Amino acid sequence: MTRKPPEPNPLDRELAYYRRECNDLGARLLRLQEEQSQAFREARRSRTVAKLIREAHRLSDVCNLPDEIGQPMLEVVVDNALCDRAALLERIGPDGSARFRVTHVIGMGGEAWQGQVVLPAAPSFFFTTSRTQLEPPAYELTSILRTPYVLWAFDPLSGVALILGNHSEGNVTRPFETRDQELVEGALSVYLDVRARKAAEVELRAAKAVAEESGAARARFLATLSHELRTPLNSIIGFSEIMAPGSTIPTTAEQRGTYIAQINESGRMLLDLIDNILDYASLENAAPSLRREWVASDSLFNAALGEAGSLALRQGVTLDAPEIGRGCELFVDRLRFRQILGNLLGNAVKFTPPEGRVRLGFAVQPDGGAQVSVADTGIGIEATDIARVLQPFQQASNGHRRRFPGTGLGLPIAKNLVEAHGARFVLESTPGQGTTVTVHLPPDAVRLQQDTLAVRRAAATNPASGD
Amino acid sequence: MIRAANVKSSNPAVAARSCREGVGPDTPLMLLAFCGGKHDPDAVLAALTAEFGPVPIYGGSAAGVIGRDSFGYGGFEMGIVGFYDPSVVPQAVMTEALLGGVRAAGHALGQAVGGIASPDAAVMLLFDSVASRAPPRLHFASSVVEGFHDGFGTTPLQLFGGGLLTDMNLTGGWVFAGRRVLKHAAIALVFPPGIEVETVIMHGCRPISSFMEITRIDGADVFELDDQPALGVIERMLGLPLGQTRGQDLSLEVTLGQKQGDRYTPYHEGDYVNRLILRANAEAGSVTLFEPDFALGTVVQIMSRDNSLMLDSVRRGVAAMNGAVAGEDNLLALYIDCAGRASARSGAPVEEAELVAQGLDPSIPLLGFYSGVEVAPVGGGISRSLDWTGVLAVLRRRR
Repeated sequence: MTRKPPEPNPLDRELAYYRRECNDLGARLLRLQEEQSQAFREARRSRTVAKLIREAHRLSDVCNLPDEIGQPMLEVVVDNALCDRAALLERIGPDGSARFRVTHVIGMGGEAWQGQVVLPAAPSFFFTTSRTQLEPPAYELTSILRTPYVLWAFDPLSGVALILGNHSEGNVTRPFETRDQELVEGALSVYLDVRARKAAEVELRAAKAVAEESGAARARFLATLSHELRTPLNSIIGFSEIMAPGSTIPTTAEQRGTYIAQINESGRMLLDLIDNILDYASLENAAPSLRREWVASDSLFNAALGEAGSLALRQGVTLDAPEIGRGCELFVDRLRFRQILGNLLGNAVKFTPPEGRVRLGFAVQPDGGAQVSVADTGIGIEATDIARVLQPFQQASNGHRRRFPGTGLGLPIAKNLVEAHGARFVLESTPGQGTTVTVHLPPDAVRLQQDTLAVRRAAATNPASGD
Repeated sequence: MIRAANVKSSNPAVAARSCREGVGPDTPLMLLAFCGGKHDPDAVLAALTAEFGPVPIYGGSAAGVIGRDSFGYGGFEMGIVGFYDPSVVPQAVMTEALLGGVRAAGHALGQAVGGIASPDAAVMLLFDSVASRAPPRLHFASSVVEGFHDGFGTTPLQLFGGGLLTDMNLTGGWVFAGRRVLKHAAIALVFPPGIEVETVIMHGCRPISSFMEITRIDGADVFELDDQPALGVIERMLGLPLGQTRGQDLSLEVTLGQKQGDRYTPYHEGDYVNRLILRANAEAGSVTLFEPDFALGTVVQIMSRDNSLMLDSVRRGVAAMNGAVAGEDNLLALYIDCAGRASARSGAPVEEAELVAQGLDPSIPLLGFYSGVEVAPVGGGISRSLDWTGVLAVLRRRR
């Protein structure tokens, strides 16, 4: 006979029933809750892309230069993507190269990072998870930020890449996945857009400044020109009226001689001025029109010194030229190079007070080139004015213009002609101490004079005969 | 008297300068500072010193910072509180011995605080939450707090505070200790007798299971619930394939909650002490909790983190706080907010921190930080460590 198991207590059964129902309903509630949370998290991630783009566009307003955008852009990326680290990279070398330089990085917290990375090939999109094999390019990409989990986008056209890095796979909510392509590529493209926009804006600002300066320079030139033209013209008209038939002003023969000399000098001044203006205007195409030939350097220098000598004498300035250029030939346009030297020497004398010195120097360089220099002990130029005086129609200051009349074309003409010769024009100056202009001629524009060469060859082949 | 400011910048010098502009040109007597974990702490300390001079700086890393007008958890936030009047400046006591034994360190800290604190003093406790990143191991807040109470004794005390993190992933944490940056350290800021603190705890978890008894446990590792493998019980609740739960997956979804007092009274959010799940151990079928303060025989429930409940709780909590401090000489509000409540992590449609910033009486300077754990008096009694809560504390002149 078997014993019938005791009937369970109805209350226990009821309790077990409610426990089971409670747990089942709780589980359903939990899953619903989790689904809802997950939906909100994903919706938030979608909003993140939009927010990131919006915030990145604002960087254009707070940064002055394109290069300044990188760092705040990474801040925006990290803040929105909630990643641990991020970096911007630029491809080095030609298209197709996979060598990158890290231009900006964030989140390293004092830890060092490698400045360059070479990839076997640069993928346009890539990410790593715990299932990713540590082989190229994962190996190289994870080494950039020293994090095992990375999200990468590369724009081959611009050569710029963005990489995000996490220490843990399920960072904040979930691992990187294909859906994150929108995030990383969106961030990269908005960065490129903002940077390009800023670059265009900077260029536009610079062009505007140049245009404004050019306009101002033109106005200054017209004012100067007007003054420089009127002065000799007034002189010509005034003196010629005095001597004109029917003039009521009595003149002696001596006075008439003086007036004619004044008219003549004013006419020459006008001619010089017009020559200079036309000369400068023609310099735009100076290089093709140069007639270069090998010219003995000492003949060039002596001629220029001769022309400047009388001005220096009148100014009480000593013109100094020790042993210049003997035995050398320069491949230059004879007339134009004399013009260069004339302008430089004339300018140096003009801005050097009485008892000052102007020195013309020449030295062959170890590379075979040569330096021609004109140094004075004159008033000098402020460092901030140097660029300006090399622009047409400019002098260092208005005060200079009043004290040293002229069109302000001498230096710009000389500089343009020097550069048309393939040489470099360097102006160094210290206010109160003087100015040195150096013309650096390249090796192919300098050679030993043919007769000097013959003497040296002879000496080399028959050393015993030399005395 | 007390001023607060917060900014976001990856450059510590820029951030410190902005904070300085935010609080004004006066030189404070002490700074409380929290900054996002992507900052280099030494650089932050140097930048703050450059701006404010050689004032003592306490605080540390935070998974994010909450201010009156802005908040963030990207890692480059900085928030400061300047104390300008000697009558409100707390005294700092610290221990650097968390690594050697959390409970003992808490005990020593409590003892030291007991030597200087007035009865019912307001004391803010801060410590770095992460003991090690791999494997993930925390400085158990419950042990620090229990040790603290043991060392402090039975004198009434208003203990509140939180654990410091560098981010939401439990990567690390550090503490500003005057002129130094420390790890494995705890600081107690003991406010003068004339200052008291009002606290409100805001929750957001709801029980979704019947009561279960812990039938096997070792420290923070819970092996069995009602004689069943604990991980399996939780996976079944979540509808997950058994034995495949990885890493920190569960910490986003469920907690274990212990109801205080009579367990059969109607649900009230303040009755629960919740413990987040640090990790799942598939081989052992166990889960590791954030704290080791549950024991064999503890009756728990599986709790769901309910975002709408969380937001309701914040609205109620802030309203309760406004009511409690209305007409008082309020000095500063500190919001110690579990990092898991941020919407990026919780999936909440609204940032609950924003509700605090917008809802709290605007005349009270506010600074908050995202924490690893929160500490506050529970049920008007002794302070405990809490998980997934927001603790709003308002310091005010004692009447």
